[in-house]
Amino acid sequence: MSIEQLYRTRAKELLSSGEVKMVIGYGAGSNKERRRPLFITSAEECDKLVLDSACISNLSGYLLTEGLLSDEKRVAVFLRPEGVRALNVLAAEAQLDTAQIVIIGFDSPKGELKALEGSSVEEFTALITALKEITPETAGEEQLAKIEKMSPEERFLFWQEEFSKCIKCYACRQACPMCYCRRCIVDSNQPQWVNTSSHTLGNFEWNIVRAFHLSGRCVECGNCDRACPVNIPLRLINRKMAEEVLNSFNHFAGTSKTQEPVLASFKKDDSETFIL
Amino acid sequence: MTKILFADKLDSCVERWRSAGMTVIGPVQRTNSSMYDAVKSASELDLNLVLADRSIKELFFPQSEPMLRYNITKSEINTSEFLPPSGPRIIFGARACDASGLAIDDPLFGWDYKDEYWFQRRNESVIVTIACTKADEFCMCTSLKLAPDSTKGSDILLRPLENNKGWQVEELTDRGREAFKKVADLLQEGSDPAAATVSVPEKFDADACAEWLKNPENFNSHFWKEISLRCIGCGSCTYLCPTCHCFDIQDEGGSFEGIRRKNWDSCSFALFTMHTSGHNPRSTQSARWRQRIMHKFNYFPGKFSANSCSGCGRCTRECPVDMGITETLQEISKLSQ
Amino acid sequence: MTENNSNAAQNIYKPAIMKIVNRHDEAPGVRTLRLEFQDPLDHELFKATYRTGMFGLYGVYGEGESTFCVASPETRNEYIECTFRESGRVTSALARADIGDLVTFRGPYGNRFPLEEFYGKNLLFIAGGIALPPTRSVIWSCLDQREKFGKVTIVYGARTVADLVYKHELEEWMQRDDVELVLAVDPGGESPDWKHRVGFVPTVLEEAAPSAENCVAILCGPPIMIKFTLISLKKLGFEESNVYTTLENRMKCGLGKCGRCNVGSIYVCKEGPVFTAAEVSRMPAADL
Repeated sequence: MSIEQLYRTRAKELLSSGEVKMVIGYGAGSNKERRRPLFITSAEECDKLVLDSACISNLSGYLLTEGLLSDEKRVAVFLRPEGVRALNVLAAEAQLDTAQIVIIGFDSPKGELKALEGSSVEEFTALITALKEITPETAGEEQLAKIEKMSPEERFLFWQEEFSKCIKCYACRQACPMCYCRRCIVDSNQPQWVNTSSHTLGNFEWNIVRAFHLSGRCVECGNCDRACPVNIPLRLINRKMAEEVLNSFNHFAGTSKTQEPVLASFKKDDSETFIL
Repeated sequence: MTKILFADKLDSCVERWRSAGMTVIGPVQRTNSSMYDAVKSASELDLNLVLADRSIKELFFPQSEPMLRYNITKSEINTSEFLPPSGPRIIFGARACDASGLAIDDPLFGWDYKDEYWFQRRNESVIVTIACTKADEFCMCTSLKLAPDSTKGSDILLRPLENNKGWQVEELTDRGREAFKKVADLLQEGSDPAAATVSVPEKFDADACAEWLKNPENFNSHFWKEISLRCIGCGSCTYLCPTCHCFDIQDEGGSFEGIRRKNWDSCSFALFTMHTSGHNPRSTQSARWRQRIMHKFNYFPGKFSANSCSGCGRCTRECPVDMGITETLQEISKLSQ
Repeated sequence: MTENNSNAAQNIYKPAIMKIVNRHDEAPGVRTLRLEFQDPLDHELFKATYRTGMFGLYGVYGEGESTFCVASPETRNEYIECTFRESGRVTSALARADIGDLVTFRGPYGNRFPLEEFYGKNLLFIAGGIALPPTRSVIWSCLDQREKFGKVTIVYGARTVADLVYKHELEEWMQRDDVELVLAVDPGGESPDWKHRVGFVPTVLEEAAPSAENCVAILCGPPIMIKFTLISLKKLGFEESNVYTTLENRMKCGLGKCGRCNVGSIYVCKEGPVFTAAEVSRMPAADL
């Protein structure tokens, strides 16, 4: 049986037994490369579920849809390892109770689909801990190294050019499972912390503010990067920040649901290289 | 015999237009993203794109436009105005959907109160559209009663030659004729046949959709919630849309000096309609998606006799969750059968 | 982008400069400002176009603009009065402004109350809380040409006694023989010396039971009050086409372009803000 078949059956069982009220998975998209989020509430619809290596987006953000989890019923969700990490971060930040989430795990290293064992976040701890040791395999690695070699002026110009494209559609924010604020700082106007205009200053403000808000929280699922309609390589910023946080605080976001938020906790042996 | 502009003469044309004081603009590749932008030579143009990632509207309605500068002293307020850049422009290599989009928005920017930021640019721009010989699966102009060679909003229509060596020139307006008079000696009379325009299959029945949308019963249909469940509420579809025209007005600066700007805004955002009291007439994402579809295919045509959609397909092409107008109208077509 | 000080092309987004000549605290957080045009040309244009019911965008540079009605009547167009509750960024800035300070006004925009259609008719004004200002503009327009109208009844309710706005004018209307004023506060909102009604507007209205005969009702209030008052008016025999109200929505341009004030197909800024209840009932309720 293919993994897709296996998981359709699993979804059917979960729904017909009443164990979950909804399965969030992937359905066919408007072409072969595209898969779209699908919300299934009855066993009959489970055959619409699609699972292959094109199922890339991190669906965990939908769990925070207003009212979805407030009835304390359970929801199953198709997740890659980054998605499970996202669940841990959201739980650590008290946004959801992982007991309400049934994970249907999968991954596709090198394009080959594989099922992941386990249905609760705890069962993924070993897998996630192992991920921490692996240099993430991202297309941005090479580009990141190039940027690292740049002088600060060159680097500034690089980002200036990238950010000049930003149209402030906030697709990065909306696609991000970590951007769950009821009112984003850019939408607050008393005071107006961040300029709403998408001129150079406003674009820098927005992208830098977001980078800092995601430091130590980003699980590098790539949702923002893929969502950006003008293709700003946002993953590079998040990769860099994740690296900094890992090197400075040995913190890898989303290893457990009780992990302390790195920028909101203090340890006596925290490195203080930036304080004179 | 028809007038022909051979591709090897395009650079001379660009030079000629530029030396006549015109800004030449066209589809270009920027870092990982394509858009319409000013060029110095024809070699910068990318005329092989199906469609630039970003629409033509930003040349007329920029994402952030300074309107007024204020300067406040103890006894007076001095306001100076920013006027849109004046001077003739020629936009070479527009697509029919983009050009049509501009014509669709003209009545909106003009009804009763004339928005000079839009019209000054409109009046000084010559739009040279190239008929499409290729399309992708997201193109849907034909579903909106437009075509890859629609002339709506264009001043010149160019039809690519079969041999790919140039374009047949169709002059549509005086403004177009005027601009091409400047390069008359670079054009040739010829009988080279034009390539067939691409066939874009019809994806939905726009008339049937309009009827369905007009029926008040369907306003409260479950359909709206189901079709928009996965919408994440970003503004990418509206910002890339050649006809979406909503904007915000924002002051930037301090209490004594600053700039008032007109910035793009989107009906997808929850804050768009939120009252200060906290009451929000369109409080859910499904209500906001319904508004977008209703506005484009019911309200707008009721006021301005045209759908507020020219079928470019950018909404679906760039949607992070693979939604878009096509899917919604396809589903409505099914419901209205 | 060129910067220009001349008025070569008319910029529809450029506001008029206004001086605050008076201010008055109406209720906790609610203030009235009287504004005078600084440029006589702006004033002439206003006088030529302003009719009761129209609205404007009041602004403070550096903060932005906010939409509310012109609370002064067309019969008193030497100045503009606006009454607002301090709640957002712009209204807070307006509340900080002092007499002599300069603010901005863009408008008047929108449609108006068809006053000449009201000639010879009895008028019933019903308002709740902070919605008296748009009603007050119509009230004064009619009282300033009192002979043209029949009986005038005003039913006004607020949450508490302190929340009643235009207290001095309420007093004046109370004294007049040609106006019947019914005042009410919500149960629990009365003060020990409160001599008027206690109850919600719809109930008080039904008790007052004005005749629907040859009568036009002008109704302004929060959505919940409008909803229940319409039911009461129906009971009293009022036709929806004889009930007028004003709608408010968030606006940025006021000119039919920025796209946010739509209720169904209606652009409130251009086709409103004044509508009959019959027109409102044809709008999609979910959009209100």
